[in-house]
Amino acid sequence: MTDKEIDAILAKAANTPPPVDSALIGRVTDLIRGSIKPVRPLPADSVLIAALIVICGAVAVAGAAHLGFFGIRRMSVVEIVLIFAALAVFVWLAATELVNEMIPGSRHRANPAAILGGGTLALIAIFGMLFRDYQTTDFVRSGLACLGAGLMHAVPVALASWLLLRRGFAVNPIAAGMVAGTLSGLAGLIMLELHCPNFEVLHVVVWHTAVVLLSGGAGALLARGIRARG
Amino acid sequence: MAERDLERLMACYQRGDLSAATMLIRELSPQLRRFFVIQLSSRRDADDLLQETWLRIHDVRHTYRPGEPLLPWVYAIARHVRIDHYRKQRRKGAREEHVQDIGQIAAAPHGAHPEDDLEVLLAALPESQREVIQMLKVSGMSIEEVARATSSSIGSVKQKAHRAYNRLRECLGTAASRKSGKGGAS
Repeated sequence: MTDKEIDAILAKAANTPPPVDSALIGRVTDLIRGSIKPVRPLPADSVLIAALIVICGAVAVAGAAHLGFFGIRRMSVVEIVLIFAALAVFVWLAATELVNEMIPGSRHRANPAAILGGGTLALIAIFGMLFRDYQTTDFVRSGLACLGAGLMHAVPVALASWLLLRRGFAVNPIAAGMVAGTLSGLAGLIMLELHCPNFEVLHVVVWHTAVVLLSGGAGALLARGIRARG
Repeated sequence: MAERDLERLMACYQRGDLSAATMLIRELSPQLRRFFVIQLSSRRDADDLLQETWLRIHDVRHTYRPGEPLLPWVYAIARHVRIDHYRKQRRKGAREEHVQDIGQIAAAPHGAHPEDDLEVLLAALPESQREVIQMLKVSGMSIEEVARATSSSIGSVKQKAHRAYNRLRECLGTAASRKSGKGGAS
């Protein structure tokens, strides 16, 4: 049997859908009648994406300005270009996907888990390639300090993103939560790259990237919890 | 009604035009109801889900962008309502597991012929493939629109459609050979 024959069978079976009970149509119309009023459509994608990127960048820079730009001052030009270009792409992808998740019927370029996993792996590869210090001085204590500071900066980005996109509607709340968490975590990671002067490979790979992973995971879990509560 | 007209109605609905909203509901409800029926909800559930979908659409109508394709937006919301319904049913522990029972077209009740009945024809497909075929071949959406409605990639939609056609080919072949076998015996 060819595809065309299957097409013909499907077309024959599909024909016109049976009509819907007019009482049901009337009931739906009555239900919306009371609250029908003009609504303002959401702003264009590009506006929302730009706003998210600005929020993410502003929180990261403000945090680093408060704590000191010790990290970026120690970096070479090549390190600055490679790390911040990768972070910029990661932020743009996360912001784009977050906007898409909040608007039903949007085009999806990549799923949130792939963005989180792929972006983190790319950063780990870049950190591994650029940094050569394999010591682990004060690994846990300094790592926990960076992790805490990074996550602290993720919180305001998450809140501001929610405020910006609160009129949106996530058809897949877990995916939206994950990508919102990823974007928020990226603000924390950018702040750490600007601020933290510790270039030990394991410190950067484990504790700095953990901010994004934990934040993305927390976003997904939070969304799942909210959905479960109905 | 052409999709452009539906999009115009939706834009009027956003501006608070009740008659446009009513017309849109009349135009889209039959295919949305069929979407729910094909996805193996009972017919009564399909009516409830249809009503729920319109109320959800009403609540989030500001998320539609005039000029964008309407059907992916509507079906994305309908799909969300259906998934929500499944989850609630599962939580209650009352959901009937239809899917595994309806594995074979040939086993359709009352001697129904798959060629004539869309629900029977598509019942042989796994849920994700059924959804894709329904949107592509019944609602007349493009691959790009189906990808938008199901939050997936174009490649994934093509793959599901390809697998669905293979499965349908298999099942229709079996049904045809059974039919001819019966004909030979009588």
